[in-house]
Amino acid sequence: MKNCLKVLRAENDWSQQDLANRLGVSRQSVNAIETGKYDPSLPLAFKIADIFAMTIEDIFERGQEEGE
Amino acid sequence: MTNENAPTSGGHSPWFWAGLMLASYAIISALIVTKAIEQTPYLIFLILVPLGLTFPLMKAANRRVDDGSCLGKGEAQKRYIKRVAVSTSAYLAAFALMTFATASGDPPIALRAFLAILPGLAIIGIFWAIGRLIVEEQDEFMRMLIVRQSLVATGFALSAASIWGFLEAADVVPHLDAYWVAVAWFAGLGLGAIMNRVQYGTWGAV
Repeated sequence: MKNCLKVLRAENDWSQQDLANRLGVSRQSVNAIETGKYDPSLPLAFKIADIFAMTIEDIFERGQEEGE
Repeated sequence: MTNENAPTSGGHSPWFWAGLMLASYAIISALIVTKAIEQTPYLIFLILVPLGLTFPLMKAANRRVDDGSCLGKGEAQKRYIKRVAVSTSAYLAAFALMTFATASGDPPIALRAFLAILPGLAIIGIFWAIGRLIVEEQDEFMRMLIVRQSLVATGFALSAASIWGFLEAADVVPHLDAYWVAVAWFAGLGLGAIMNRVQYGTWGAV
């Protein structure tokens, strides 16, 4: 699943650790989500969306294998 | 990239204390094997030394978690480190006692059975610690890595046990005691960590 987390983080001038602290997860988690290696659960995705005051769909987009 | 051997802020690295603890056990084992010490009270007193080293080891490991130089952070990780340190120390102490009891004569079967069960119980303590880590870990990504690592370890250990068992039945390989399955499982954890690193870019938390 693609996402624009890296861009959003840069806009806020946050490091991966800063975002991890806000989400209550490890820096490794943020890195794995950001690089598309790990898809977050729905609760975590909502948490990410809330932090950036956006919707989940604004941050995450379907990967090719999940599309129709 | 962090240097894992570097001292944590305000003290020695956990590896320093772990090395010291293992060296203490090695010296005690050597004293037992060479029969330099044959009296149980002295042995019990000596075993207190490496057991006491568990506490600075746990403190150093917790400092590392707090520094963020260890994978993951938080209470679940700290509790896991503490539980594994206690179980490992209990295992080493139980193993030393069993070795000493066997080497110092032919104890009654009840005592032998009791001493033989102790190291096994300590190993169960490590399995329990990993189970609790899976339950208590709040970071879903890290939890997934631990589960994945445990599954790889289980698959590896059961596969190795199956193959070895049939080879043994065919008289191709020598007999191995059943506790080697647990050893294979711990080796499988290492394999799982490598697979985590390859697929997700991080080793995991176990």
